[in-house]
Amino acid sequence: MHVEVFGPDPPCQRCTAVVKSVERAASTLKPEGIDVTVKKLNIMSKDVVSKYGVLMSPALTLNGTVRVMGRVPSSEEIGRLIRETAR
Amino acid sequence: MTDKTRTVRTTVLLAFVSAVFGALAYSRITAYSLAPAMKPADFRGLPPWYVPVAYLADYFSHAWICLTFAFVTAGLIYEFIPKEAITGHMSGRKATGYGLALGIAPFLTVCSCTMVPLFAGIVYSGAGLGPAITFLLMAPSANILAILITGELLSWELAGVRVVVSTVVALIAGIVISKTPWGKAVEREHQVGSSNPKTAVEVVKLPLDERLLASLKFGGYLAKQILPYFILGLIAVSFVEAHLPEHIVGEYLTGVRGVLIASVMGGPLYTPTLVEIVIGRGLWQMGMSRGALLSWLMGQPYDVANAVAVSRIARWKAVLTYMAIAWVGSVAFGLLYGALSGSL
Repeated sequence: MHVEVFGPDPPCQRCTAVVKSVERAASTLKPEGIDVTVKKLNIMSKDVVSKYGVLMSPALTLNGTVRVMGRVPSSEEIGRLIRETAR
Repeated sequence: MTDKTRTVRTTVLLAFVSAVFGALAYSRITAYSLAPAMKPADFRGLPPWYVPVAYLADYFSHAWICLTFAFVTAGLIYEFIPKEAITGHMSGRKATGYGLALGIAPFLTVCSCTMVPLFAGIVYSGAGLGPAITFLLMAPSANILAILITGELLSWELAGVRVVVSTVVALIAGIVISKTPWGKAVEREHQVGSSNPKTAVEVVKLPLDERLLASLKFGGYLAKQILPYFILGLIAVSFVEAHLPEHIVGEYLTGVRGVLIASVMGGPLYTPTLVEIVIGRGLWQMGMSRGALLSWLMGQPYDVANAVAVSRIARWKAVLTYMAIAWVGSVAFGLLYGALSGSL
């Protein structure tokens, strides 16, 4: 499962919080056999805008689909989302 | 989580929000002042260590209701505004871009780390530099927090004027910059071609209790970011009110000269969000004219950190142009408002 987290560069507090949530979720999902790769991307890069359009930071995508925008999801919520998507 | 716990949580959160709104309504009905009550003269003769203590106590004993209300409201609006619908439309035509920039900047941009990324997004996605600049100028001067606090602590007339003037200045700056050769160059350089990314957006909808909790958390986050500066600002103002002779304020911060001085003070002083309101209030109490007060409130887009971040995308020429327009706007409308309200 590819998870991308979008935020400005240098990172803001809330975007860092999302990355941490994803990492926590990833460690609980590993025993269930779900491998999660996290990538932090710059929301202000042209590549990101041309692929996803205008996003609000922090944003999160799962396998290339934007699922969270402008808020900090908990690690439980991210875990739930990843499980649903993996199914 | 069971349905029952969810219902309980929703009820508790809604009760809290109603209590905050109710407290504000109640203070209105009983005509209880939410603005601090002490006058500069009350601070004279107090020992230096006691000045900020008395000032902070006076401020928070009155203003806590409107501060809580402002942060809760900002959090709620930010959470419940349909973000994905808005960002989806942002990459469209120019007219839509200007409309969205003016309409949503006040609600979305209470947090500075969302502002510059959105600016970049608007520029890159094809709506152009004009709407992006409009958005950038509208956001700090007329966001929901600033307007609520201006209304409660200064006056609702001034809050209304602030919104109207910000809109006009932001729109003029956006349109003018998009017509300049350097503005057009920036647009050409950054156009990434029209993409249709909407297919890739499926934002999760949370249950009501989680959304309420998220909005209160965001309100709390804003408070944590802003209040330390707010308190520092208040401490500074308390000394200004206690020690700066009123005739100096009356002499330098009134008339045309007052507007000119007030319009440039914001730059070097670099006041974080909301602090401009308490400093403005302090000076106003000491005799600054209403015209100069508006000019002071409007003279905030010289925010250096933002300007540096923006210049990486829009180049310095565009940044300096919008700063110049914002400055001229703050002087012109300060004079106009001063003349119209009979307090120049």
